[in-house]
Amino acid sequence: MNQPQGRRNDSDLIRASQRGDRGAFETLVRQYDQAVLRLALHLTGSEADAQDIYQEAFLKAYRHIGNFRFECSFYTWIYRIVTNLCLDHLRKRQTRREDSHVMTDSSGQEVDLLERVSDDRSGANPERDLMRRELGAKIALALTRLTPRERMVFELKHYQGLRLRTIGEMLNTTEETAKNTLFRATQKLRGVLGSMR
Amino acid sequence: MNCDWTKENVVLYIYDELADDAKYEFERHINQCLACKQEVEAALAFKDGMSALPVQEVAPNLLVNSRLRLQESLEETSQALGWNRFVFDFAGWMHQLKLAPALTAAILLIGFAGGSLTTWRMLGSRPPGTDLPGGTVTQPQQANIASIESITPDANSNKISIKYDMVYPQTVEGTPADPLIQQLLLMAAHNQGNSGVRLDSIDVLTRQAEDDAVREALVYALRYDKNPGVRLKALDGLKSYVKDDVHVRDAVVEALMHDTNAGVRSEAIALLDPVRADMSVREVLQVLAQHDKDQFIRSQSRRYLDSTPNMY
Repeated sequence: MNQPQGRRNDSDLIRASQRGDRGAFETLVRQYDQAVLRLALHLTGSEADAQDIYQEAFLKAYRHIGNFRFECSFYTWIYRIVTNLCLDHLRKRQTRREDSHVMTDSSGQEVDLLERVSDDRSGANPERDLMRRELGAKIALALTRLTPRERMVFELKHYQGLRLRTIGEMLNTTEETAKNTLFRATQKLRGVLGSMR
Repeated sequence: MNCDWTKENVVLYIYDELADDAKYEFERHINQCLACKQEVEAALAFKDGMSALPVQEVAPNLLVNSRLRLQESLEETSQALGWNRFVFDFAGWMHQLKLAPALTAAILLIGFAGGSLTTWRMLGSRPPGTDLPGGTVTQPQQANIASIESITPDANSNKISIKYDMVYPQTVEGTPADPLIQQLLLMAAHNQGNSGVRLDSIDVLTRQAEDDAVREALVYALRYDKNPGVRLKALDGLKSYVKDDVHVRDAVVEALMHDTNAGVRSEAIALLDPVRADMSVREVLQVLAQHDKDQFIRSQSRRYLDSTPNMY
């Protein structure tokens, strides 16, 4: 994921937020909130859960912005909060053993991933489109077999396109550990998807 | 360089995380080793196949709802300031001091020098007028007592020691473009005690809305000012930016949806006319056209929707 473009000066906004300027904080939120919501939505598969994570992440950031010391970018800081919340969510879900190929939208309706996975490249080929949808559902199921940490590293690397060094910073670990986790995640996914064919 | 090393690094290779020299060695090896080449091809096929579950773009409605929900919560949330913040940060603060003795010494020296200078200036004579960049500041001889800090009776006499703070009213003159004047205007826009001052400051600031900080102050006033007159004035200042500044557009949409004053809402919907084809605006208009309590807002929303081709 690319960092949001056209940002106003984060440092000024952060300093104003630290002085209690809520307007400045909201401006800061709007620079990053779409990316945060996109990440939470893809990870949780539920609009309601994604909204809860969004809400909790930015409220936490607001309460503790006074502790932000400019040792990393605001982008890394807010993502650290979001990834922690997502990890908690994934851990809880793992305990409940939910199947994530069934998602819930904001109205609480269950939507099968088969319906959600679209294929922009298949054009007017319905057979290929169906196959791609089936593959999408299998991938969603395979992703649930990863540990929360493996899932997070894979999500940030494969779907959000972040560098492993940044992922390590966000997850409070080393680049080397992030590499090893990504290796394990891809091995597992290849194994699970291979056995599904 | 061997097959084991290649297999361990194939993931880093497909995600472009190998350093240049390692990448060169990696590619040289797979060009000579068929098994490793097949492993890389399988890994690339896996990577390509994983895109069958794409990252969906966030629906505008979901984004708007999330923002509004957050805004409501922020109004009831306070930051970790004051004593709590100090307690929370103490370990980190000590850690930083420990790691930066030179910085610590510098801070102490600056603090000591600043304190001495302030004392010297307070004890010294005050000139009746001072020139500041951005205008002339006039200091009157009279000062007001702002607050009493402490009262300490002397046990051995009938004297009492009172520590108090003084406020010296000052006047500054200059053009709205002067940095000091603009800074004061922005402060005045947040003056919770006096809506007349806020109204006057927003009135002047509307003429400088091309400045980002001014526009932020106008957006802030539109969102949070308790006085509808101030909010209307802020809307007026923002009208030229609805089309090009998405933050302004969001603030106007929020005013249309949630402002308690019918006049502000009517003005907000009028401002959205040039951007009525925008998807997030259309979604709001569709909701308002069906459910809004205000007859004018309902009919105006319908009119906008009817006159805009449905592109979705």
